Amino acid sequence: MSHHLFLLSPSDTPIYSLTHYSTKLPQSTSSSLSSNLPTWSTSAFAGTLTALSGASSATQSHHVQGGSVRMGGGQDRHVIQMIANASLDVIEDVMRKESAMYMKSVDKFNEWTVSAFITPGNMKFILLHETKNDDGIRSFFHDVWELYLKTMLNPFHTAHSPIRSIVFDTRVRASAKKYL
Amino acid sequence: MMATTSKQYKAIGEDLWKSRTDKINSELFALTYGALVVQLIQDYEDYAEVNKQLEKMGYNIGTRLIEDFLARSSLGRCSDFREVGEVVAKVGFKSFLNITPTVTHSGAPPPSSRPTSAAKQSGVPGSTFILTLDENPLAEFVELPDEALEGGLWFSNVLCGVLRGSLEMVQMQVQVEFLSDVLRGDESTEIRVTLLKYLEEEVPVGDD
Repeated sequence: MSHHLFLLSPSDTPIYSLTHYSTKLPQSTSSSLSSNLPTWSTSAFAGTLTALSGASSATQSHHVQGGSVRMGGGQDRHVIQMIANASLDVIEDVMRKESAMYMKSVDKFNEWTVSAFITPGNMKFILLHETKNDDGIRSFFHDVWELYLKTMLNPFHTAHSPIRSIVFDTRVRASAKKYL
Repeated sequence: MMATTSKQYKAIGEDLWKSRTDKINSELFALTYGALVVQLIQDYEDYAEVNKQLEKMGYNIGTRLIEDFLARSSLGRCSDFREVGEVVAKVGFKSFLNITPTVTHSGAPPPSSRPTSAAKQSGVPGSTFILTLDENPLAEFVELPDEALEGGLWFSNVLCGVLRGSLEMVQMQVQVEFLSDVLRGDESTEIRVTLLKYLEEEVPVGDD
């Protein structure tokens, strides 16, 4: 079960991105349908197609996830980024209404849920995930926020430019492992 | 004995730090120093030159800081170079930066550690002491980029200048340099101070 994290500056330029494969088991029930599906339907769009054909999306997500991990590749990456970008509009709408930092489930795209976290400095942290894990995700966002603050205080870092620090990367990964 | 004096120095340092009412936020201090270093890097584009400039800045600070330090601490002359190291670490660093580096002395031991007369100092040129800093308020939050690591930047080099400047004003010519820095991935942060020679008080030459 994978998670995709994107950090965006107030002007929506990408600052950082991470893909995390969780070893935690998803809470969705195991599917009997998935074994009947042909193994070549591995792209994320397969989820859309089968959803349209009426099959339950929970079971699809489990199989499709397994498939997309095997295939990996650029095709899925583009879909993920498309989903993330599409959610930005929704996030901005919610931003104006709510003042809370953590917004859960801002947007949903088939099996992918988008959760967002807006910092007081208008940095957007976007997480694409498949399973429901509000507490874990909230803790993860808070951790990332603290790590982000520390990186901002490094005099060698220029604001709103991509974060290249290895220390930041390592710690975000560790935090992802802990909470996701 | 040495141990008691060491405790006394620690107490003096602690008192001096506490008696200063005008303290500033350490984040602001670290950010200001960091901005300074980054600006120097942009201006000079040569890490060896930046090291030199930081040291020069430190030297200017040190030559003036010593007066303030001596006035507040009202410590007399150090009897030997070993004592210099103790005072620098336990009173100097403590009262200005609120850290107490550990001191390791080496070099020929002085023939006598008891001050015989006020004017005469004992201590052999070539004596050194090493200050090991287990924390460094200047380098809070800093991560050196690869170019700085390769270029040999000593981020806190201003400290070397401060030591050189202040000791020169009390008649000691010293060489001060960083040996290692945790910012560079080393195990510890160490500054070595080497006594080059004692400066004789010079009689001003009359012009007429």
